[in-house]
Amino acid sequence: MATANDRMATTEMADRYRAGVLKYAQMGYWRPDYEPADSDILALFRITPQDGVDPEEAAAAVAGESSTATWTVVWTDRLTAADTYRAKAYKVEPVPGSPDQYFAYVAYDLDLFEPGSIANLTASIIGNVFGFKPLKALRLEDMRFPAAYVKTFDGPPTGIVVERERLDKFGRPLLGATTKPKLGLSGRNYGRVVYEALRGGLDFTKDDENINSQPFMHWRDRFLFCMEAVNRAAAATGEVKGHYLNVTGATMEDMYERAEFAKELGSVIVMIDLVIGYTAIQSMSKWARRNDMILHLHRAGHGTYTRQKAHGVSFRVISKWMRLAGVDHIHAGTVVGKLEGDPNMVQGFYNILREPHNAVDLQRGLHFDQDWAGLRKVMPVASGGIHAGQMHQLLTYLGEDVVLQFGGGTIGHPMGIQAGATANRVALEAMVLARNEGRDIWNEGPDILAAAARDCLPLRAALDTWGEVTFDYTSTDTPDFVPTSTPA
Amino acid sequence: MTSQTDPGTTAVGPAASAPPLDLEAALADSQVEELLATLDRDLVGLVPVKTRIREIAALLLIEKLRMGVGLSAGPPSLHMSFTGNPGTGKTTVAMRMAEILHRLGYSRKGHLVAVTRDDLVGQFIGHTAPKTKEVLKRAMGGVLFIDEAYYLYRPENERDYGQEAIEILLQVMENQRDDLVVILAGYKDRMERFFQMNPGMSSRIAHHVDFPDYEADELFSIAELMLERMQYRLSPDAARALGEYIDRRRMQRNFANARSIRNALDRARLRQANRLFDRRGAPLGREDLMTIEAEDIRASRVFDRSETTVEGSQ
Amino acid sequence: MRITQGTFSFLPDLTDDQIRAQIEYCLGQGWAISLEYTDDPHPRNTYWEMFGMPMFDLRDAAGVMTEVQAARGTFPDHYIKLNAFDSTRGFETIRLSFIVNRPLHEPGFALGREEAAGRTIRYTIRPYATDRPEGGRYS
Repeated sequence: MATANDRMATTEMADRYRAGVLKYAQMGYWRPDYEPADSDILALFRITPQDGVDPEEAAAAVAGESSTATWTVVWTDRLTAADTYRAKAYKVEPVPGSPDQYFAYVAYDLDLFEPGSIANLTASIIGNVFGFKPLKALRLEDMRFPAAYVKTFDGPPTGIVVERERLDKFGRPLLGATTKPKLGLSGRNYGRVVYEALRGGLDFTKDDENINSQPFMHWRDRFLFCMEAVNRAAAATGEVKGHYLNVTGATMEDMYERAEFAKELGSVIVMIDLVIGYTAIQSMSKWARRNDMILHLHRAGHGTYTRQKAHGVSFRVISKWMRLAGVDHIHAGTVVGKLEGDPNMVQGFYNILREPHNAVDLQRGLHFDQDWAGLRKVMPVASGGIHAGQMHQLLTYLGEDVVLQFGGGTIGHPMGIQAGATANRVALEAMVLARNEGRDIWNEGPDILAAAARDCLPLRAALDTWGEVTFDYTSTDTPDFVPTSTPA
Repeated sequence: MTSQTDPGTTAVGPAASAPPLDLEAALADSQVEELLATLDRDLVGLVPVKTRIREIAALLLIEKLRMGVGLSAGPPSLHMSFTGNPGTGKTTVAMRMAEILHRLGYSRKGHLVAVTRDDLVGQFIGHTAPKTKEVLKRAMGGVLFIDEAYYLYRPENERDYGQEAIEILLQVMENQRDDLVVILAGYKDRMERFFQMNPGMSSRIAHHVDFPDYEADELFSIAELMLERMQYRLSPDAARALGEYIDRRRMQRNFANARSIRNALDRARLRQANRLFDRRGAPLGREDLMTIEAEDIRASRVFDRSETTVEGSQ
Repeated sequence: MRITQGTFSFLPDLTDDQIRAQIEYCLGQGWAISLEYTDDPHPRNTYWEMFGMPMFDLRDAAGVMTEVQAARGTFPDHYIKLNAFDSTRGFETIRLSFIVNRPLHEPGFALGREEAAGRTIRYTIRPYATDRPEGGRYS
């Protein structure tokens, strides 16, 4: 058991740099007196120390391993302004309700990081430290970036405001759908789904994350058929339409080639997957900015490290990184759909993506005040097991600046894909109209939908099929996975 | 009209068969009584004005009750003219009027947009209509208060654009009674001439309210009320001086009732500050900071012209 | 065909009362309202003609409705849309935009295809109405 004396930072220089092994706290990584500077990058970790390791030492170790320290004393520290470069764990508090877990706050000097590089940032903050033995588990909960650091990033190439101005679509969430089945359709059949959905009333359709260039459909084929569908739908409705052409590929050269072809065909939007990596994302962001292209990001793979409460990286941190890295769309949860998402947590992600400034909001998991310094806003995408009957809840929880993606809820409609799209669009417009009229859509939602369905057969069929217009919504308040009766 | 009901009941009509209408409840419901009470409390004097406002409120409340039981004299015309000398409370009462109309359900938003000729009339051809319409759009749902409305009409210049503004106003006053109440304000004599020359305007004004000049004791009460709100007080000598000041000022040119009192007090505060400043070094207390002395008032030019004191002041 | 630009195009045409309610909502948010009209409804025709200046500082929908009626009277066969503009930092853009008047007959758009290299096609969308000169397209 460590005593208070052990934790005290040793000030005698000679002692401090004598060869051997010191506790991290003694090396100067635990600084309870430290006042974080406005220019510091701050990180909040949830730590679960091994038995017998006290929380302050564990916090100091995290600070050390994510900045300058190694396991032993090195004299070469004395050739640097080591105290500046040392990250400082400045606060440790127990996690309410979890006796073996602690919140550790760590401050990093700005000069520890390369400007404008998520790869460099993450190599420090989540580099070695997550495998560190004295910790049973470690989770990066939240980060605060000073304006000086934020300003080294270009951010989203388009942003919510410009996206809406380009699409000429205002005042309501945008509507999308992922082409289903995910795999196996030929280019020609795939384009049929795209045309039907856009013609029926959706604004966007989307490639799935694992649609790249497989034997059943070469990517060029897909792009050509999809753009025929997009243009046909635009001419049939008078609206700007788009299909997220997934340009994810094995190499940057492949991705650039695909993106260039999408541009040549006149697409307004391209898509990448989170699994391509932070550097590739930033490269594609720069490309999108150069080419007036909206950049859609599917968060494929994030569940492997965001879902467990004790270990990994919270999605709110991923959201912050992606706003810096510069994407225009990101899948950020639905609350009511088939995928993980507590309403408060999801609203926290949405606020990070959409607000000019985040105040501390512990209920929504926002532990720091974050000024986005004029960085554009990212459009969150709600996708996965949602349908027209939930429109009032989606609008209440998620607000207006969001893409609602009804994949199964469009393509699985009994009267066909166009009817499915129309049902969603009518439900959405009726709900926005009612909300603006001052009606209590949370409680009157089902009535509003039923009334709209009287003028719209497809909506009536949708409500009949997926039933449950009056859902038992109480279960969505729990933080864990909430199954709904919606087909995927 | 055919009716299946027994003639015995139809003869008595709703008044007898329905429960009696509760005027008290309707009044309480509209919270108008409360507004009228604050009007009484906050505004010194103006008894004839307050009486007229109360009458108008009563008329509108009864009209609402009548509409509730299916009786109607047609949508009431609400446009008004407020006449009186400057500083007699026309703008203040107009704001209260807007609120009363709002509470009674005759004005959706109850805001007041106060304008003069310059806000309505343009400088060149094609300028006036958009200006006037712009003002009207801002006032919709509330009350448009046009101060010194007679300046809209300039017969000496037959190509004056004011006539255009008047015509647009008339159209809206007639066709959009639900959307807008217009109050024209100004000196009584000039307003009367304006109405004589513009019968169309005159016929659309339902209520004429005349604002009398304040009596000397009313002006004194107004001064006391103003000082109290600014956390000042008068020494006994200063109170006497202010009484004399009011008597003299009322007889002079450009007297603007409450506005002149407000200006006089502002100047007295200035002199008080200078007086305190000049005796630097002497101890200064809260009392000193609050008190206006006679010399702060008697230094006014109003006392210059004659040495005779006026008897009988407060 | 029915052009479905604007926030409420999939609903039956809004009644004046419904339009008034939306205007009240916009004014309540502190947004400025403007009207625009066109007879070229191309999806990328960004700049419709302005029907007067944007209306700032209005308190009640009646003022806007007066302009809507005036616009309909002047351009009965044009598309007329109502925009609400939000000057809040972070937005500074249109927040609601919906059609309040449309021509009786909407002929729609032709989709032109120009075959280019490989299987690439260059697309162009042309409103049938623009075959006729401006001002006489839907009468």
